[in-house]
Amino acid sequence: MSKFKEKLESGKFVITGEIGPPKGVNIEKCLHDAELLRDYVTAINITDLQSAVLRIGSLAVSSKLIERRIEPIFQLTCRDRNRLALQSDLLSAWALGIENVLCLTGDHPTMGDHAEAKPVYDLDSVQLLKAASTLNQGRDMSDHELDSNPNFFLGAVVTPGAEPMEPQIIKMKKKIAVGARFFQTQAIYEPDKFESFINQVKSLNVPVIAGIVILKSAAMAKFMNENVAGITVPEDIINEMSDTPKEDRKKKAAEITARIIRQVKPLCQGVHIMPLGWDELVPEIIKEVEA
Amino acid sequence: MHATIQKPIDEIIGYLDPGEKVFVVGCDNCAAKCHSGGIPDTQEMASRLEKRGVNVVGWCVPQPKGISLCKLANTKKVLQEEYGEVTKQADSFLILACGQGIHTVMDATDGGMVHAGCDTIFGGETVTDDFITEYCSLCGDCIVEYTAGLCPVTLCAKSLLNGPCGGAKNGKCEVDRNRDCGWQLIYDRLKELGQLDKMDKYIMPKNNSRWSRPRSLTMAGTEVTFRSLAGDVTISRQD
Ligand code: SF4
Ligand code: SF4
Repeated sequence: MSKFKEKLESGKFVITGEIGPPKGVNIEKCLHDAELLRDYVTAINITDLQSAVLRIGSLAVSSKLIERRIEPIFQLTCRDRNRLALQSDLLSAWALGIENVLCLTGDHPTMGDHAEAKPVYDLDSVQLLKAASTLNQGRDMSDHELDSNPNFFLGAVVTPGAEPMEPQIIKMKKKIAVGARFFQTQAIYEPDKFESFINQVKSLNVPVIAGIVILKSAAMAKFMNENVAGITVPEDIINEMSDTPKEDRKKKAAEITARIIRQVKPLCQGVHIMPLGWDELVPEIIKEVEA
Repeated sequence: MHATIQKPIDEIIGYLDPGEKVFVVGCDNCAAKCHSGGIPDTQEMASRLEKRGVNVVGWCVPQPKGISLCKLANTKKVLQEEYGEVTKQADSFLILACGQGIHTVMDATDGGMVHAGCDTIFGGETVTDDFITEYCSLCGDCIVEYTAGLCPVTLCAKSLLNGPCGGAKNGKCEVDRNRDCGWQLIYDRLKELGQLDKMDKYIMPKNNSRWSRPRSLTMAGTEVTFRSLAGDVTISRQD
C-alpha cells in the first residue's frame, strides 16, 4: 500500500522529492540522489522526459526505486504515447509495483532536444486520468474487461499563479471528477498568492502539495519571471540572492526555500521539492523545516 | 482553402533530369490566393526555370477564372484539349498547387509524371488578401460546439480538448510566445457569450479513425457518405 496515499488520506503533511533520469544508461547518480532523499521524503517524483529532452524513461527509474524500497511517483505525460501505449505503460507500472501516478500533459517537443518529433497528445491530462481510473475499475478505454486490475493513486498538476485562474480551476475540477486524488503545483514563491488560490479550491477537498523549486540565482529568478507561466519570484527574494556572495549562494538558497516551506506549510498538505541538481541541499532544508 | 507555398527553386531544379521537358501547371483558386500558383506566379516560374536552363515546353493555369485545379473534369479538358498539343510533348508536369492538385493533374493526364512545386501546408481562412491562417485541422469529428466555435485541436499547440495547460503567459502560448493561447481565446469567448459552463463538460478523446487516411466522400441523390476507417457514415439531407 502506498505510504504516500496513506499519509495524504489520513490528513498528514507529506514531503516529496524529485529526480530527473539521466541522458544515458548510467543511473547510478540518480539512484544515489534518491538514496540521499530516502529518509527525508515520503515519495519521489520521477520525471518523464522532462522539458521534452530524451532521457531514460520514468517507468524504468521508478521500478529501480521500488527495488530499493523507495516509493516513486511515476510521472506520465501525454506527449509521446497514444492511448494504447499509455494504458500499457500503466499496466506495466502496476506490475512493477508502482502505485502513485502523476498524469501530465507534457512539454511540447519543440521545447526540447527533438524538436522535429511528432507531438502525440492522443489524450490530454484529463482524459489520461479518466483512462487510468477506468483501468482501476478493471476496464480499458474501449470498455474491454481486464483480467485483473490495478489500483493506482492518481494525481495531477495545477498552476496556482496562472492568469486568469478560472480556467485552471475549471480544469482542476474536471481532473477531480475523473479521478485525481492529489495535486502538485507549479513552483510557489509568493505564499500570500498561494493562500488565495488555496481559499478558492478548499471546498474541492483534495490534497494540494505545493511545488518548491530551489532558487539558485537571481538570474534564474529573472528568467522564470520572464518565461515561465504562473511564477513570479518577488523582488526582495531576487535581491536577497543577488546580494549574496557566490560562495554563500547554496546556503542562502536553502534558507529561502526553508522559509517559503514554513510559510506554505499551514496552507496545504505537503511540499514537493524540486532541487534542480542541488539535491544535497534537500536533507538540510527538510531538517530545518521540521526542527 | 488549401494553403501552399512554393518550394525553393533549387529543390525544384533538383527534381528534374537534364533535358527533361516540363509543363508548368498552376491553380486559379487556392494557390492563386497564396501567390504560389496563380497566373503571374506560374508564368514567373516558367521563366525562372528557363533562366536556369530548364526545357519548359509551356505553362497554364486552367480557367475559367477562380476555378480550382482539383476539379478534375475541367483540368482534364484544359490539359488534354486546350493545351493538348503542348502537354503531349511534355515529359513531366510541375504543379504549383496543393497535393490534391498534384493528383488531379496525374488523373487529368492519364498518369502523367508529376513534380510538386509547392509544399501544402494547411487548410485555412483567407482573412485578408495578404493573410491566411489555420482554424481547422480537418479531424472529421468536430467539437467546436463546446468551445465557442474555436477549434482547440488547431488553436492549441498541444490540441488539448479539456482546457488549458498551465503554460500560457499573458495570453500567449508556452510553445510560441508570439502566438495566442488557443484556450485563452476559447475561455474569453465562452465568457463573453455567457457560456462558460460549457467548459465544465468532459470532452472525450478524439475518434482518430475518422481522421484516418485516405478518406472519401460520395454524393448520391439526397445522401452523402463519408468513408473512413471508422466505417461509412451516411447522412440524408432530407430527414
Ligand atoms: S474539431 Fe476537428 S473538424 Fe472541428 S474545427 Fe477542429 S479540426 Fe476542424
Ligand atoms: S499555452 Fe495554451 S495553446 Fe499553448 S499548449 Fe498550453 S493550452 Fe495549448
